[in-house]
Amino acid sequence: MTLDSKIPEGPLHEKWDNYLHHAKLVSPANKKKLSVIVVGTGLAGASAAASLGELGYNVKAFCVQDSPRRAHSIAAQGGINAAKNYPNDGDSVWNLFYDTIKGGDFRAREANVYRLAQVSNSIIDQCVAQGVPFARDYGGELVNRSFGGAQVSRTFYARGQTGQQLLLGAYQAMLRQVDLGKVEMLPRREMLDLVVIDGHARGIIVRNLVDGTIEKHAAHAVVLATGGYGRAYYLSTNAFNSNATAAWRCYKRGAYFANPCYVQIHPTCIPQSGDYQSKLTLMSESLRNDGRVWVPKKKEDVKKPANQIPPEDRDYYLETRYPSFGNLVPRDVASRNAKSVCDEGRGVGAGRAVYLDFSDAIAKQGRKAIEDKYGNLFHMYEKITAENPYEVPMRIYPAIHYTMGGLWVDYELQSTIPGLFVAGEANFSDHGANRLGASALMQGLADGYFVLPHTVGNYLANHIATTVSTKHAAFDEAETQVRSQINDLIERGKKGDKTVDEYYRELGMLLWDNVGMARTRESLETALAEIKKIKHGFENNLKLVGSADNLNKMLELAGRVTDFIELGELMARDALHREESCGGHFREEYQTPDGEALRDDENFAYVGAWEYTAPNQEPQLHKEPLVFENVELTQRSYK
Amino acid sequence: MIPLKKALESSIGKKFVMSISGIALVGFIIVHLLGNLPLYLKAEQAGPMLNEYSAFLASFGWLLTAAEIGLAAAFIIHMVYAIRTTLINKKARKNSYDKGVVSKGGPSHLTLLSRNMIFSGVVIGVFLIVHLWQFRFSKGSMEPIKLASGADGLDLYAVVAQTFSQPVNVIFYTIVMLIVGAHLSHGLWSALQSLGAMKPAWSKAIYTVGILIAVVLAAGFLFIPIVMFLTQSGV
Amino acid sequence: MSDQNMNLKLRVWRQANCSSPGKFVEYDAPGISEHMSFLEMLDVINEMLIRRGEEPIEFDGDCREGICGQCSLTINGQAHGSERGTTVCQLHMRSFRDGDTIVIEPFRANAFPVVKDLVVDRSALDRIIAAGGYVSVNTGPKADANSLPFGKAVSDRAFDAAACIGCGACVAACPNASASLFTGAKITQLALTPQGHEERSRRVVRMVEQMDIEGFGNCSNLGECEAACPKEISLDNIAVMKREYMRAMFSKF
Ligand SMILES: Cc1cc2nc3c(=O)[nH]c(=O)nc-3n(C[C@H](O)[C@H](O)[C@H](O)COP(=O)(O)OP(=O)(O)OC[C@H]3O[C@@H](n4cnc5c(N)ncnc54)[C@H](O)[C@@H]3O)c2cc1C
Ligand code: HEM
Ligand code: HEM
Ligand code: SF4
Ligand code: F3S
Ligand code: FES
Repeated sequence: MTLDSKIPEGPLHEKWDNYLHHAKLVSPANKKKLSVIVVGTGLAGASAAASLGELGYNVKAFCVQDSPRRAHSIAAQGGINAAKNYPNDGDSVWNLFYDTIKGGDFRAREANVYRLAQVSNSIIDQCVAQGVPFARDYGGELVNRSFGGAQVSRTFYARGQTGQQLLLGAYQAMLRQVDLGKVEMLPRREMLDLVVIDGHARGIIVRNLVDGTIEKHAAHAVVLATGGYGRAYYLSTNAFNSNATAAWRCYKRGAYFANPCYVQIHPTCIPQSGDYQSKLTLMSESLRNDGRVWVPKKKEDVKKPANQIPPEDRDYYLETRYPSFGNLVPRDVASRNAKSVCDEGRGVGAGRAVYLDFSDAIAKQGRKAIEDKYGNLFHMYEKITAENPYEVPMRIYPAIHYTMGGLWVDYELQSTIPGLFVAGEANFSDHGANRLGASALMQGLADGYFVLPHTVGNYLANHIATTVSTKHAAFDEAETQVRSQINDLIERGKKGDKTVDEYYRELGMLLWDNVGMARTRESLETALAEIKKIKHGFENNLKLVGSADNLNKMLELAGRVTDFIELGELMARDALHREESCGGHFREEYQTPDGEALRDDENFAYVGAWEYTAPNQEPQLHKEPLVFENVELTQRSYK
Repeated sequence: MIPLKKALESSIGKKFVMSISGIALVGFIIVHLLGNLPLYLKAEQAGPMLNEYSAFLASFGWLLTAAEIGLAAAFIIHMVYAIRTTLINKKARKNSYDKGVVSKGGPSHLTLLSRNMIFSGVVIGVFLIVHLWQFRFSKGSMEPIKLASGADGLDLYAVVAQTFSQPVNVIFYTIVMLIVGAHLSHGLWSALQSLGAMKPAWSKAIYTVGILIAVVLAAGFLFIPIVMFLTQSGV
Repeated sequence: MSDQNMNLKLRVWRQANCSSPGKFVEYDAPGISEHMSFLEMLDVINEMLIRRGEEPIEFDGDCREGICGQCSLTINGQAHGSERGTTVCQLHMRSFRDGDTIVIEPFRANAFPVVKDLVVDRSALDRIIAAGGYVSVNTGPKADANSLPFGKAVSDRAFDAAACIGCGACVAACPNASASLFTGAKITQLALTPQGHEERSRRVVRMVEQMDIEGFGNCSNLGECEAACPKEISLDNIAVMKREYMRAMFSKF
């Protein structure tokens, strides 16, 4: 199968309009007869469910948490980009597009990214109309802040809780449809399989996490908005329940998985403090607006209290190496630099940390101003570390944060399985090899509010006469498979003696060390070999207690780890095949003399989309060439 | 617009009723305390003043009756709603915590007194029956006397003095007045908050003022029986 | 930072499902580091239980950074534990002393049936929001975001109310199991926001009605909810809800 990205005709800035002009419409009477399943209620899922419900489709929405409001999007702190140009600093749709595609190291589709920039402004208007409390000025207008990878201030924010406020806006819009009877909300359900009938996605199999029932749900189309797979690394900034299971099971049903090796490491997280640690906490990137990153110049100083190191002995390495962007270089650059200074032995704390210092900002702007901007983040930092960042510099270190890879989708956000649409972090679409800050929220909402309502309609217009029902044999087949997978875990779990968590941590560590911030052919080959061992152990020596007929979080986790192991393998494979460095994918073999990522546009300017073949067999790689007609491929420089 | 009946049956409406009736009762006891203040004076002055006052009230005739009916209604409504809301509240958590809810302090107003409003309320209710029987319904069986002003009246003072010459009554009243203070220490602020008549800036101040008023009212009543007992027993 | 390890005793509420009775079970928790978060401590205990072949203690938690509102434990009678302005996932073991016995219970309220052990069903809160906790606008072209100014002072107050994470600790801590703080916070946020004005009466009436249907208690203004609220949502939000209700009683909608 060749990958058809279905990019509409016309000049870049007319493509989306062209698409809309030609998209098929569904009459209100027919919409009532059509049903759509939305899996995931994060920004992408909730906004899609709300918008599709408003249009009149019968929507069923699913999430694993006890309430749709708890999707992982809730945790986003920093903000959301839009090309409003309210600060009058020269921003435009083009600039937002350009920054995003350049930030992604020219590994994203021009047309998608341009559309994202085009609808960005509508997102802000929509959210404000919903009552989302963005930060405002005394005069009553919205304010912006600047963010990594951009030279304009285009980030809208709601204190340090932007994701929360945006999600609540979408959640409330969705619950309004629940009230109106257009959306049925089914929380504490985990999607475990996709049902494909005659080549079209027609339903899902879910496990009711409360009583273990396996449920079948049919619909005319399925929207997958299940978030990213960063939890494959075990330690990450992602929430506990974030998982790749839904996406992975779709992959196994025929949806291609694109660019799995593109993962983002966030530079400002609170360093790990012990082995029991369950997750890492992000300190919003916005802190880099006012905080200065440094480490001691001399190795001997690393154990000294920060305030005893005189300014001349501090190495503000980002400011010296990147004079024009300074502390605001993109995430991958900031992360790699932190790693390299720590590798040199100049890391502070337990050795894996650099300082993020606010003393200058506090001296200049006053403590009050800093408190207004970052109060809750400082508070959170103090909670976790028992140190007061107003007085001593924060200690930060990079951590896994976001996954640019995901299920392959075309311009319509449709996967290689017709009728299966993928939105938000779960797809691979807009961020290329690196995502800029404040653009995931933008993408999730763009997908859900402004893209899917049209593209899903365009698909459904051809399926008005189709009837869907869970009576079809494909549902039984999928259900049987899911049941046997679960039973298998339960049975296996009675025999072995290593817990799910042990395997999971082992996998995470392996991926972090070998498929993490810097990769080499050797490390990737090690990863591939070691994953096989973990997989073998997991299949033969697993310890699991409890049953499948009630709430059993370890059983849920065991299912997810099964998929993370396989996905980890694909990540390593993808990273190995991509013999270049780009964005978050840094192969040490491919770097410029001064240590920057060295792309190979001639051979690797494509999307690598993997097709599942058969159990324990190598997947097949398909390439979607990336054509750049509007931007010139340059080496990213933030100097 | 919401039909009034529905509004008053909502959780918020019920509290409107409770707080309005509660405030009416507070209004009454303030007036009642003022009326009773002469009791702090020497018997020679206090007697005529109280009796005069009582007669003055009686002179309102049906107006007084109406006021009394209103007052009774306020009491009954307050009590009925108090019992209803308390039952709902108890039902809302059938299994409580091992050691009940433990307060975190800070802005919390959760105290032994505030969480036992129904207890203090019921005690006040029982007191009321005794109290009315002692001072209000005894009036029917009293011989009329000539008041200092020359009008006809009753020697209410004698009844009060007689009552507070007995230690049981003094002790009973003292305890009840403490409980009235407890009820009001949460009740006053609560009534305003229930009506939404609160601003964050005032909240703390109102809470404090509420407690002060409660203390003043309770203390105002509390010492009457004690003082009267002590003076009568010749201390 | 010194590393202090403690030995603790846990009394944990175990309950198979909503229809079976629960009971307390005691566990030893040896060698707990003071840097662990409370949930990490439970992770460690669970690993121990699994190795012993016992069913792990089910508890909720997702973001583990105090924003998703999923964690929901009552510790020694206090929702989210003793520290103010803190969710239990952000509570660190340094607030306990060696030798302590810790009683761990679910968020208790009849409107929050126990799902298993320490996990409860808080969908009642979603239903309250579904009854009107939104601005009724559809997705589509909207007026420019700056077309309706909204001054900083009031928008800050709206934000304070919007910070609610829907955890239900207010209900768990309220002796009456009242959801007034949660409901009041959403009503306040939208009543203060210009876009929310249009339907404020309908909103408050429907949300309060739903709150009552769900079986939450009445508010006796005890204020324990604010003390337990991890986002320190102020009681003022309850006062605003009362005003909004009163307003609705006398206005057409
Ligand atoms: C700490 C942190 C801070 C961030 N800050 C920012 C920021 O400031 N700006 C920015 O732009 N981006 C930020 N991001 C990234 C951004 O938050 C996410 O990429 C984005 O929110 C993802 O949204 P989503 O809708 O795709 O998925 P999610 O919000 O992750 O939602 C996934 C949904 O899928 C459901 N689900 C998952 N698996 C299943 C299954 N098997 N069955 C059923 N349901 C399932 C879940 O229950 C959930 O409802 C941040 C991310 C993190 C981790
Ligand atoms: C030491 C304290 C008190 C004393 C000495 C006292 C005295 C009296 C007296 C003398 C009367 C009769 C008045 C008359 O009929 O003219 C009376 C009536 C009454 N008292 Fe008290 N009282 C006290 C406390 C209270 C308290 C705390 C309450 C309320 C809870 C209360 C409620 C009433 C009521 C309802 C009446 C009937 C009023 C009427 O029918 O007009 N009293 N009291
Ligand atoms: C002198 C008589 C009384 C006065 C002045 C009085 C006053 C008040 C006031 C002002 C409140 C606060 C109302 C609110 O928060 O909305 C209150 C609450 C209460 N009262 Fe009374 N009251 C009196 C008698 C009683 C009696 C006789 C009972 C019970 C039988 C009672 C039971 C209660 C209860 C249970 C509450 C708390 C209700 C709640 O907040 O949920 N009170 N009272
Ligand atoms: S008001 Fe506070 S305690 Fe209640 S749900 Fe919201 S955040 Fe939790
Ligand atoms: S604790 Fe309960 S009584 Fe009211 S003020 Fe809070 S809801
Ligand atoms: S786990 Fe998210 S708030 Fe505690």
